[in-house]
Amino acid sequence: MPELRELTYAEALREGLRQLMEEDERVFLIGEDIGVYGGAFGVTAGLIERFGAERVIDTPISEAGIAGACIGAALTGMRPIGEIQFMDFVTLSMEQLVLQAAKVRFMFGGKASVPMVLRMPGGSGTGAAAQHSESLENWFVHVPGLKVVMPSTPYDAKGLLRAAVLDDNPVIFVEHKLLYKTKGHVPEAPYVVPLSQTKVVREGAHLTVVATSVMVGRALQAAEQLAEEGIQLEVIDPRTLKPLDDAPIIESVKKTGRALVVHEAVEMGGFGGEVVARIAASEAFDYLEAPIRRLAGLDIPIPYNRELEYHTVPQVESIVREARKLVRGEY
Amino acid sequence: MPVPIIMPKFGFTLESCEIVQWLVREGDRVRSGDPICEVTTDKVNMEVEAPEDGVIHQILYKAGDVVPVTQVICYLLRPNEVAETATAAIAAESAPSATPLARRIAESNQLDLAAVQGSGRDGKIMRRDVEQALGKVRATPAARRLAAEHGVDLAEVQGTGRGGRVQGTDVQAALAQRAAEPAAPLIKRDTQEMPPPNIAEHADRRVVRLEGMRRTIAQRLQKSFQSAPHIFLDTTVDMSAIEALRATLKARGEKLSVTAVLIRACAWALGRNPALNATLEGDEISYWRNANIGMAVALQDGLIVPVIHRAEQLSLYAIQQEVDRLAALAREGKLTLDQVSGGTFTVTNMGMFGVDSFTAIINPPQVAILAVGRTVRSFVPDAEGKPILKPTLTMTLSADHRVVDGAHAAHFLRDLRDVIQTPSLLAW
Repeated sequence: MPELRELTYAEALREGLRQLMEEDERVFLIGEDIGVYGGAFGVTAGLIERFGAERVIDTPISEAGIAGACIGAALTGMRPIGEIQFMDFVTLSMEQLVLQAAKVRFMFGGKASVPMVLRMPGGSGTGAAAQHSESLENWFVHVPGLKVVMPSTPYDAKGLLRAAVLDDNPVIFVEHKLLYKTKGHVPEAPYVVPLSQTKVVREGAHLTVVATSVMVGRALQAAEQLAEEGIQLEVIDPRTLKPLDDAPIIESVKKTGRALVVHEAVEMGGFGGEVVARIAASEAFDYLEAPIRRLAGLDIPIPYNRELEYHTVPQVESIVREARKLVRGEY
Repeated sequence: MPVPIIMPKFGFTLESCEIVQWLVREGDRVRSGDPICEVTTDKVNMEVEAPEDGVIHQILYKAGDVVPVTQVICYLLRPNEVAETATAAIAAESAPSATPLARRIAESNQLDLAAVQGSGRDGKIMRRDVEQALGKVRATPAARRLAAEHGVDLAEVQGTGRGGRVQGTDVQAALAQRAAEPAAPLIKRDTQEMPPPNIAEHADRRVVRLEGMRRTIAQRLQKSFQSAPHIFLDTTVDMSAIEALRATLKARGEKLSVTAVLIRACAWALGRNPALNATLEGDEISYWRNANIGMAVALQDGLIVPVIHRAEQLSLYAIQQEVDRLAALAREGKLTLDQVSGGTFTVTNMGMFGVDSFTAIINPPQVAILAVGRTVRSFVPDAEGKPILKPTLTMTLSADHRVVDGAHAAHFLRDLRDVIQTPSLLAW
């Protein structure tokens, strides 16, 4: 059996971008320092040499401009892929995304659409401080007309990117800085991981852990540790936050009777609240053996100090602690 | 305001006491220090004394009631205090404290708050207490679904979840139990039921209520024998050396009992076999650094187990003194709670009743007990195989197999036999 090919998350994205651009000349990239410099995290490295400056466009420092250019190009038939250097700066694109990209298809009765993808790395853990470490995905989850994708593995990153570019709606594609260097199996041939397909990453009998992005890996590590104590976690990765495929989550909670939702974004108003509400309102309610709990970022800006930063968001040990308490009936 | 007399907290971990009998009646005049009632913990009987001179007023509990410590059991009228005004003062003082919400729910359901046990701070009655009194059961959604599906009354299911919440697994357990005993209906708990009289004389029999020490013995032994898988190991020891020692002491006008020897020998062997000097409580096994050895003492009705603390540090002489002192206190019913607490191992000797050997039930939370028979003369083969007459004694170790492995128990018995047969080892 041939050895499975491994790529990093960043390499998988780069390969996906290259293949999409080779197949369809309407696809182009636009963002800050994505050309000659290769992107702040190197995702687009080498693509300007391959496709030229017309299809790998370096922009001035204007996130509103990047989003607006994507929208305009999409409306006129292109398939733009924009990059926001740090997710934090997407705040400058909000008017374009929320009032324009998300609304056009509805306000024109389906006669126009905005098939664009906006990539951006979120998350903390690099010591980049409060303005370069945010997890703002739920801002977009709250807007009708946008789709929100959050891949947690190299395989999903490549497959979901393709699904996002092929989709006719604006898709917010949230990557994670800490994931770029993680490795995993990635087939070379193009493939699609369909949007809105929640995945059960690990099966277990005692507690359903719904985790997103970098927290999926932490939940899996926690599951490894707890397995030694006889506690079995079922780890679920929604992969697409919106539209959310909640059926596997509900099925899982019916089986385990307990649920914990883990994400890096601030708990207050975070995506976890939505998942908890879906569970509580579903048929899984009748199977609950404990309150549904969340584990998420503290309600503070991410501190610069590495130790404080570490304790601001869930870590493997905090997931272990919380899961153990839930399973042992301490809630 | 009359003086409240409370159930004293006799020991650090004591939570409640049973009233054995009242020694006074309402209206009786008492002096400071007079005993007013006799109470029993699960181990010893004690007396509650009047804190000052006065007249007994309003006895709140009857004999047989189990009362939490620090609860008022009766009041004492001070000189010149009038019974009627005192009663009113007590009523005002003891009106239950409750949150406004709890009070409102109770009022709208015509529930008397005096009948509700408060779980809040200082016994304050909270909403949950009122709801519980009204029959609302805290249960998880899973428990409610299962109960509805199988027609189980949640109020009858023992909750093991946080704060006694009924879990789905509890309902499943109740269902499994019901399936196991189809004929037995679930018995409704009825705490309001009046206790029957303690003793009833019938033409053909005398019926005595299971209470006090007998009830404690019944509960503890049943729990021990049902929950601890017992293993039993016998060994027979040559008592020649001990007999010689006892004879020497007797000639000097001093006494050494087999019980004292065994306690000292057990302490020696336990020091070398800590696996048996242990207690099991919940999910925790404690291995004790000192050998605190209980000795079972038979009483007129029942038994009690005073404890020789730190027996490994005492000489045989000191142990003999302690054994005699504690046995005397036990028979007089004057043991304190400390003197019957903290045991890590127990010795029970029935040799003086002519029993050859027997098996004992472990005294929880301890994990082992040694049952000792009488010393007999028997022929044992010597080195050449010729029979010689020797004093021998058979003892049986009961061990909780959850904690004690067979090999642990065997090693302990071997060490115990060695030190009894060669008492000079005690100096080692």
